[in-house]
Amino acid sequence: MTRSELIGAPLPRREDARVLRGETRYVDDVVVPGMAHAAFVRSPHAHAGITSISVPQDAEGLIAVVTAADIGAAVRAFPVMEPDDMEVNHAEAHPVLAAGEVRYAGQPVAAVIARTRALAEDAAELVDVQYDERPAVLAPRESGVVLTRWSGGAGDVDAAFAAAAHVVSGSYALPRLIAAPMETRGCVAAYEPVDDCLTVWCSAQDIHRPLAQLSHILDRPPAGIRLIVPDVGGAFGSKGVIAPEIAAVAASAMRLGIPVKWTEDRLENLVGGTQGRGIEGDLQLALAADGRMLGLRARLWADLGGYLLTTTPIPPHTAATLITGVYDIAAAAVTVVGALTHKVPTGPYRGAGRPDAAYMVEALVDEAARRTGIHRVELRRRNLIRSFPHRTATGLEYDSGDYERCLDLALELAADGGRARDRDGGDGDVVRGRGIALYVERAGGGWESAEIELGPGGTFAIASSSSPHGQGHDITFAQIAADRLGVPIQDIELHFGDSATSPPGVGTFGSRSVAMAGSAVAIAADDLLAQARARTGAAIVDWQRLAEVAGPDRPRAAARFQSANVFSSGAYVATVRIDCGTGELTVERLIAVDDAGTLINPLLVHGQVIGGAVQALGECLTEEAVYDDGGQPRTGSFLDYSLLTAAEVPPIVTGEVQTPSPFNPLGAKGAGEGGAVGTLPAVANAVTDALGGRRVEPPFTSDKLWRALHDDPRGDGR
Amino acid sequence: MKPAPFRYEAARSLSGALELLAGDQDARALAGGQSLVPMLNFRLAWPELIVDLNPLAELAHLDASGGDLRIGALTRQATLQRSDVVAAGWPLLIQAVAHVGHAAIRTRGTVGGSVAHADPAAELPVALTALDARFHLRSRDGARSLSAGELFQGALTTALEPGELLVEIEVPASPPAARTAFLEHARTHGDFAVAGVAVILAPGEHAAIALLGADAVPVRAAAAEQALLNGAGPGEAARLAAAGIADDYRRALLTTLSERALDQVMA
Repeated sequence: MTRSELIGAPLPRREDARVLRGETRYVDDVVVPGMAHAAFVRSPHAHAGITSISVPQDAEGLIAVVTAADIGAAVRAFPVMEPDDMEVNHAEAHPVLAAGEVRYAGQPVAAVIARTRALAEDAAELVDVQYDERPAVLAPRESGVVLTRWSGGAGDVDAAFAAAAHVVSGSYALPRLIAAPMETRGCVAAYEPVDDCLTVWCSAQDIHRPLAQLSHILDRPPAGIRLIVPDVGGAFGSKGVIAPEIAAVAASAMRLGIPVKWTEDRLENLVGGTQGRGIEGDLQLALAADGRMLGLRARLWADLGGYLLTTTPIPPHTAATLITGVYDIAAAAVTVVGALTHKVPTGPYRGAGRPDAAYMVEALVDEAARRTGIHRVELRRRNLIRSFPHRTATGLEYDSGDYERCLDLALELAADGGRARDRDGGDGDVVRGRGIALYVERAGGGWESAEIELGPGGTFAIASSSSPHGQGHDITFAQIAADRLGVPIQDIELHFGDSATSPPGVGTFGSRSVAMAGSAVAIAADDLLAQARARTGAAIVDWQRLAEVAGPDRPRAAARFQSANVFSSGAYVATVRIDCGTGELTVERLIAVDDAGTLINPLLVHGQVIGGAVQALGECLTEEAVYDDGGQPRTGSFLDYSLLTAAEVPPIVTGEVQTPSPFNPLGAKGAGEGGAVGTLPAVANAVTDALGGRRVEPPFTSDKLWRALHDDPRGDGR
Repeated sequence: MKPAPFRYEAARSLSGALELLAGDQDARALAGGQSLVPMLNFRLAWPELIVDLNPLAELAHLDASGGDLRIGALTRQATLQRSDVVAAGWPLLIQAVAHVGHAAIRTRGTVGGSVAHADPAAELPVALTALDARFHLRSRDGARSLSAGELFQGALTTALEPGELLVEIEVPASPPAARTAFLEHARTHGDFAVAGVAVILAPGEHAAIALLGADAVPVRAAAAEQALLNGAGPGEAARLAAAGIADDYRRALLTTLSERALDQVMA
């Protein structure tokens, strides 16, 4: 393949055969001699004081029961991130093990270490914890305890509303969701006193963040921890922060002097893993008579759970800052309050605030179209941001984009100008609707690094600071390096995921790996090529010869790449059908147009779009983490937390627009979340369309839709 | 999600299994394990003893040679689904079993296990209720036969006594003119049903409607059945079938499903 063919080549992942043959090595496959196993005693209450903990003196295979009293002096609460200008209540950081109080059902109270996991579970039954139950707060607006707060905006919002010909408002709510990766969380922790090194194999999105979190919690210098991320079976944002259980296992392994494994089971993951979304908001939009958007007011409440984990503040901040969407709205006033509730903490889940913003603003724009009588496509066209860079009223700087091209392509693929709902589909008792939604999302940003070295055989080894959990970093980065160096792709070998050998960086999240870590690879490769050219004096380098001649002095290069955020965007169209007899929603067709900048590997981008879209369809159709009035989780198994099957997935037509980002040498943006961002508002708007303007909140379950249909007078032809 | 400790005995004969079950009040019989094993792993079930019925080939028969269909309790759902004899004489069972979980679940799951577990959202108990099946129970000390109405007592509750085992289900033949349908509404493909209906209709001769989701047990819609025999159409019969259900959405759902099922058998 020539250079021009490598960038944009739809190459399959090189690990596919290994993954499909089951030759992967997940953290549960890691076996360390003498390893013990952990199970956890968890709070049965949403909110309670702990009055006593009584530990069994002996049980079969029991090694130790570790409580906060045992490790309290050795650990600190979780470090908590502080997004720009956000007030964060660090005093409410999640403790490793509960001390004195529990704030969600499922919170780890004691780690039970035994010879096998089964024996650990048996012994956990013998730990007697006495609680003093307290009332649970479940609704963020009723909480009264603020964990995070962000306010932002620009322009004269009051004047904008005073001058408005139309003011439309809407209230929106997204339930909590469960990431449900196929591989749950887990770790093996082993402490070696000889070199004073704690080695932690961890199912995580990257090595750097878990290492930094453990370093803080254990009050241990980063150099004293080796963090290894083996193969990972999915994360979707939920493995960017270590589980409190992982910190407890690491502390226990050090305290007991034996290696300890914890493999989270599905029940633990469903009740104790960070959940996504859980946000609601009241929005108001001021429009001129011609439909121009003059101002936006938004007040959001995020249901953050009982404590702050490291990444908990991020999604509400992202939602608030993206709330003006793709629209040129000069005046905005936005506040988001992250409230304490007695549920497991929330955190990033694919989209992480982006779908939340797109859902609210796109529903509001459809409402504005209904109210003003301006066609929903036309209303959008009149307000799109058209010149870049664009600074939003919320303070983001959009680097580039072509929103109208995305919209035009989506409408072309839908072969329709956005036709209104259709009451009679010709097959009896159904209503149909169509929804259009645009989105823009924050991607990239921060920094990553790469090291490249010419090996003795004339091939190349690259160590990336980023690490994959399904995205396909390996082939994508190999494409980038082979392209820059002008060498065959099979000559490039990538290494990830071990803090002993990986260069410094941040991690894999927020649709950033190609733009950031990929750019670092490109710059390192460019440096290597420049060195080789200088040494050989030739424009075309004979790498094998250079490797032979150079001996141990073979060229190597390292690069660190940093940039501001880049902004991906897209346009989605959904067609839905609702069975009036049962209320059943069928998404008949989904058009997904994404602009992720220059695409390195369109096959993997396509996979990301489809995967994100299917997760969002789950959010639309069935998924919801449910708590009863006392704060007990009612979605503790896949019987209750309903994931989609292939049978529910409609035909998805994808299209792409490639507006290069000016902020990195590849022109890349991000593709990991677009499908999850665009699908939700498109389907939601289609459902509202089918219901004749009546709104219900996701998930669009049959009973909700049936009730919405049957409260409706349905005067038009039925 | 590891089960609490229990003793395990593989049954070597039916009489041996009954002996084991009689000997321990906290014994549970293991058939396909599609419900019991998750309950063990969630520690929702804490049996002292598990009696594994899987070695008992004598409980895995599927036989219509006597006119009625005799289904051994250990017959796999997948075996039922693939049976030509069942398809020819008892198509309702084929229509219903297709909705039970996914292929992997049906491969292990048994007909008797589904009945004895008595999940209110399970399909086979509803189809067997419509078919007027008889349920043959055995214990160390005797045998008895129950109708569906006698067997199903509530959610996850049957008339089975400790030590008693469901060994066979006997399904009478329907009139040759009978047509059948099974429809359900579930959140996703393969999920437990929210509501469902089984219908059998030989106009002027025989009518049966059994509802899933009307109560914690399968419910026969007697008034609707009588109305059908008196010549009622699908809409009227469907309304009668679901009339007693308090929740308006569930009533509408069962009315819709009943009407559509009756439309199919009357088309």
